[in-house]
Amino acid sequence: MRIALIVLIPFIGAVIPPLAIRAGRNVCTAATAAVTGLALLLLLTDVPAVFSGRVPGLRVDWLPQAGLSFSFFIDGLGLFFAGLILVIGLLIIIYARFYLGRTDSMGRFFCYLLLFQGSMVGIVLSDNILLLVVFWELTSLSSFLLIGYWHHLPASRAGARMALIVTGAGGLALLGGMLLLGHIAGTFELSELLTRGEVVKSSPLYLPTLILILLGAFTKSAQFPFHVWLPHAMAAPTPVSAYLHSATMVKAGVFLLARLWPVLSGTPEWFLIVSATGLVTMVVAAWIALFKDDLKALLAFSTVSHLGLMTMLLGFGTPFGVIAAVFHVLNHATFKAALFMSAGIVDHEAGTRDIRRLGGLRRLMPVTSSLAIVTAASMAGVPLFNGFLSKEMMLEEAAHTVYAGQAWLFPIFATAGALLSAAYSARLVWCVFLGPKRQDYPRHPHDPPLGMWLPVAVLASAVVVIGLMPAIVAGALVERTASAAVGGALPQFHLAIWHGLTPALFMSGFALTGGLALLWAYSSLERLRLALPRPDGMTLFQGSVAGLVRSSRFVLGSLADGGLPRDLAVIVLTTAGLALAGYVQAGPGPLAGTRAALPATIPAVTGWLVLLLACGLIVRHHYDRLAALIIISVIGLVVSLAFLQFSAPDLALTQISVEIVTTILLLLALNLLPRTTPDESSTAGKLGAGALATTVGVGVAALAYAVMTRGTETISDYHIEQSKPAGGGTNVVNVILVDFRGFDTFGEIIVLSIAALTIFALLDSALHGAARRRIRTLRFLPRAGDPHPLLLTVVTRVLLPLSLVVGIYVLLRGHNMPGGGFIAGLIVAIALLMQYMASGYVWAHRRARMDAHAMIGGGVMLAGAAGLASLAFGRPFLTSTFGYFHVPLFGEIELASAMAFDIGVFFTVVGTCILSLATLSRVEERAEQASKQTQVKTGTGAP
Amino acid sequence: MNQALQFPALQALYPEILLVVGAMALLMLGVFRGDRSTGAVNGFAVLLLVAAGILVCLQDGTASAFHGSFVSDPFARFLKVVALIGSAVTIVLATEFLSAPHRQRYEFAILIMLATAGMMVLISATDLIALYLGLELMSLSLYVIAALDRDSLRSTEAGLKYFVLGALSSGMLLYGSSLVYGFTGTVEFAGIAKAAQNGGLGLTFGLVFLFAGLCFKVSAVPFHMWTPDVYEGAPTPVTAFFASAPKVAAMSVFVRASMTAFPGIAEQWQQIIVFVSIASMVLGGFAGIGQTNIKRLMAYSSIGNMGYALIGLAAGSPDGVQSVLIYVSLYVAMTLGMFACIIAMRRADGPVEKIADLAGLARTKPAMAFFLAMLLFSLAGVPPLAGFFGKFYVFLAAMKAGLYTLAILGVLASVVAAYYYLAIVKIMYFDEPATPFEPMRGELKTVLAVSGLFVLLFFVYPAPLVEAAAAAAKSLF
Repeated sequence: MRIALIVLIPFIGAVIPPLAIRAGRNVCTAATAAVTGLALLLLLTDVPAVFSGRVPGLRVDWLPQAGLSFSFFIDGLGLFFAGLILVIGLLIIIYARFYLGRTDSMGRFFCYLLLFQGSMVGIVLSDNILLLVVFWELTSLSSFLLIGYWHHLPASRAGARMALIVTGAGGLALLGGMLLLGHIAGTFELSELLTRGEVVKSSPLYLPTLILILLGAFTKSAQFPFHVWLPHAMAAPTPVSAYLHSATMVKAGVFLLARLWPVLSGTPEWFLIVSATGLVTMVVAAWIALFKDDLKALLAFSTVSHLGLMTMLLGFGTPFGVIAAVFHVLNHATFKAALFMSAGIVDHEAGTRDIRRLGGLRRLMPVTSSLAIVTAASMAGVPLFNGFLSKEMMLEEAAHTVYAGQAWLFPIFATAGALLSAAYSARLVWCVFLGPKRQDYPRHPHDPPLGMWLPVAVLASAVVVIGLMPAIVAGALVERTASAAVGGALPQFHLAIWHGLTPALFMSGFALTGGLALLWAYSSLERLRLALPRPDGMTLFQGSVAGLVRSSRFVLGSLADGGLPRDLAVIVLTTAGLALAGYVQAGPGPLAGTRAALPATIPAVTGWLVLLLACGLIVRHHYDRLAALIIISVIGLVVSLAFLQFSAPDLALTQISVEIVTTILLLLALNLLPRTTPDESSTAGKLGAGALATTVGVGVAALAYAVMTRGTETISDYHIEQSKPAGGGTNVVNVILVDFRGFDTFGEIIVLSIAALTIFALLDSALHGAARRRIRTLRFLPRAGDPHPLLLTVVTRVLLPLSLVVGIYVLLRGHNMPGGGFIAGLIVAIALLMQYMASGYVWAHRRARMDAHAMIGGGVMLAGAAGLASLAFGRPFLTSTFGYFHVPLFGEIELASAMAFDIGVFFTVVGTCILSLATLSRVEERAEQASKQTQVKTGTGAP
Repeated sequence: MNQALQFPALQALYPEILLVVGAMALLMLGVFRGDRSTGAVNGFAVLLLVAAGILVCLQDGTASAFHGSFVSDPFARFLKVVALIGSAVTIVLATEFLSAPHRQRYEFAILIMLATAGMMVLISATDLIALYLGLELMSLSLYVIAALDRDSLRSTEAGLKYFVLGALSSGMLLYGSSLVYGFTGTVEFAGIAKAAQNGGLGLTFGLVFLFAGLCFKVSAVPFHMWTPDVYEGAPTPVTAFFASAPKVAAMSVFVRASMTAFPGIAEQWQQIIVFVSIASMVLGGFAGIGQTNIKRLMAYSSIGNMGYALIGLAAGSPDGVQSVLIYVSLYVAMTLGMFACIIAMRRADGPVEKIADLAGLARTKPAMAFFLAMLLFSLAGVPPLAGFFGKFYVFLAAMKAGLYTLAILGVLASVVAAYYYLAIVKIMYFDEPATPFEPMRGELKTVLAVSGLFVLLFFVYPAPLVEAAAAAAKSLF
């Protein structure tokens, strides 16, 4: 539990500063420091255990099935980093007390700082790698809050976005990597996972795992080419830069590399990627740092360079590399945090961080200057300071490293990095603290209060003490940390200033003298730099973002242009592609099945040819709507003939009736619409659409062919057998409609009625308001001289009673012979509609005494009642019964209860057709009258 | 008692019956009282949705109705509750929109109830007929809702576009269903599974068409084109609805159909799912980058998120189904919060939708900015926020199923998508403040706060949701 408290205390304590600030700034600082101190104290109680080789741990289940648990452990590596985080955190808190201005909200700042601190400690103490990722992202979030703390600075905006996006994205990559890693190793607990390095390294998934994890580590630790975000995040207040961007957060990546070193390192991939990235980062960042005029920018790039150094050391994959890296983490944390704080003091006191405007501060700020010079010397690698020791170890390792068969590569570039490091350190010291005093400082520089330089002094003394007595002060710590990182026994090593005349010593000496020489030649070097291409990280980032935005828009634009045809084409093409892929993958079998084809009779072939012709004509003439309608009706008629051919007279009858009704409906509707569809597509578009249509058509045809040539069992035999005994009818279609599937039919007639009512409601509104005015403006084509030809009128009137009789006949015989309520309804409807067409709406309407609404309602109710009647006899809803009755004069007739149902269907169909079509013709009538009136008014109409 | 009068066992359907009957009663209220009744209809609708949710929760075990074509099992109940929450919250979110005098449409809530009833049928469907019935009840309501703002050209165009494309996809689904029926001789999922053990060419074709239709409903790439247009064109509360409950329903039927009807030919449908999943994630992430309108952005975000959810389906395992369930429920929670913010984006002269309008929100409205930022971080999948767990579970399921490429591509796509979520955070926290928005209405505040706190604190005790999802997933296997 104690271990979890170390992590939780900063989180819980984060609520204290915002409350404590009411009691004053000192109380707030003290409270914050107390929180950190308490966590540190708890950590220290574990020191004896860790140094005696035990690994205290704690595990609380969180989501056990998913492998996620709250588990922590403290080994040497975790202890080292946690200590670093908490100690420097403590110093930063004290420093920030004096750094923050009166107007800054200190409570909030300390709250965020503690949140960040807790997340960092969480990373280094997590036993579960997924928990580690959680804390990893929490540092991103809390660092974002800290960076955003001074949001009135415009410079921080772009930087914050980049920092957020680069590290946030890296964290997601890390999550993927960790999931893979846990999956390979079979556990997410580090304590077990670290022992399964061989399993991981031999896995085929090793490389993707490695790359994803490295993406996380490199983005966090600002390794090339992700180093761009770090310098731009420097707009944050100095305590933040010192804590996040030099001592802790950016080291999380290095920590991760060290943590997973036993699992991932030692392979060629690891060596090639990690060490090279480190080397490139080290040299490139040092080169950039040399030319930075902003004190913090210089330190920022120097930090990047040193992080590169650590990464490179870990990348070597040797225990000595790890020892050197760990030692350098310690040394860098001390001198770089001190330098950052010094830079903050300079900024605070002198009013600028631009080193071209500074100089000679040695006399004005003696304390700050001495501390800064000591720490900068350490950064440069001057002997007797701690930076020298670890840098020497680095050079020693580099000197023995052969990269891709090139023995010279690493020694030379490592020396170059060290040389540049010495050069920028010297430049910093010279331009800021040494040199002549100036008269034009923005403020009057003087040493800050004790609280501000004391933390620097603490760190600077550490720099010197470690530098003088490395083995005594840091030996055990480094040993314990490195052995935890390596995960086994370390080879013999000794931290000392003097190792004899090693190659590293020469390289070191060369670097120091060369660095000073470089500073001397600074102006010519600057010219060289200006002549070289200087890719700016921010510009590159913004450029790539802009490029991404452009390409994103381009891709979207080519996928969809906002029009329907393109969308439809994409959907149809994809589906066709998927179907084809499925076909190919399944091993293309024969398309045709085993079922024998029917003989190709002359009527069948003729019908087929007519269908083809009609389809072709539609494509050609579809702009002319009337022509298109006529051709479509031809297709419908051919289909109904096909039904006849295959002995389905009922279907044929229905098809013909429906065909006629819909054609009449469309004809009436077309009258209100323009005659032609405008042609808006280009020739290329038409060709493309044609190709697509052909492809899909061929596909569908092939599918239909495949289905039809395969024999399937149908359920029609069952229905034909049962039709007479169970339903009392020989017309199986009708029996299915009114009996076997009576409930379906009942539903259908209700739908039909609703459709009619909807048409009525929609068109009725067209007689009022805006729609009516629009109808008025419609231009009607000149009509034939006689809109109601006498012959047609007479014929329809004569045919009316005959049609009605035929309708009733068809209705009555429906149960046994082709016919039925539906067909009968359509026949009667056609007869009635013909009256409207031939004699005109007004004439027909005046004589039509029937109420279509009542007819529909009555039909549905009759059908429903017929169904309910069966309940009275203890049978389920819509059970049909039938009997034979002897009626004098007529003889034997059969009456089925389904007949009542069929009559209901009949009335509904008639009512529906009358209502919808009559409504339509009424609208047209009105429109016609309206246009006549307009013509009369304007006097343009023909007499 | 007369045997014919015996009522069929419909206990499993009580929530649906309540919704449908309630919707019709409210319709009567609306018809006879006119648009004045909008407020009352909305209130009753929310109550009915909540009541239906309670009824769903009261159900226990596995019960079926209509000869097994409708089932109420833990899987269905889990998703129904999520869908009902989505629908109820949408009506709450729409209060402000519907309160404007010229926008008082009582039909909105009724259509949402009917759509929800459709979703619930869809979620419970265990045969192709019930599936189609539910799907069409939902879709037809959605077509109308999309064009609700009928005086707006964009809204009507969006509705029309959605309708035409939706009709095409429904057609494909039907075509696929009939092929499946033709080759297996049954429409029941269990029967199909039995008949389809050996696969077959016809079944493959049926599967392709069926899945094409379902992909359209979850707006997976390349069946996604309607999404950005409808999201942008429809009134924002409508968009909120589109982004939440229907996605749940469509995803659920996708899962149930794949798992219970086609387990024998899992290899075939897995390929399709992997393909659309990758396409959705990549396009969702990539296309979001170039957007300036936040509703369009949310459209691409939803496309991407459906891609992630499909990863879980592609895994084809109990873990995979569990991850899908977790993913969609978290996604709904986040989406509703997001839309509470988007609806609150209004100035004195009306609503605004540009991402740039959020500039400096952290200073003009710190609380709203904070919650919105949390939601965005969560959508980006940043731990320990809720969205992380969704991604975590789908990736884990994919890896357990050996779909490493899919998992890795998913991670990379989430990195791309993180860009645009985080870019909004940057705009809110670092840019110069734009004109402040009007004060946020109480109900929006509530929704945002609940969603934000849920996202923020989910990690503390995720077990209830995770375990419920596990139990739900188990009922399919």
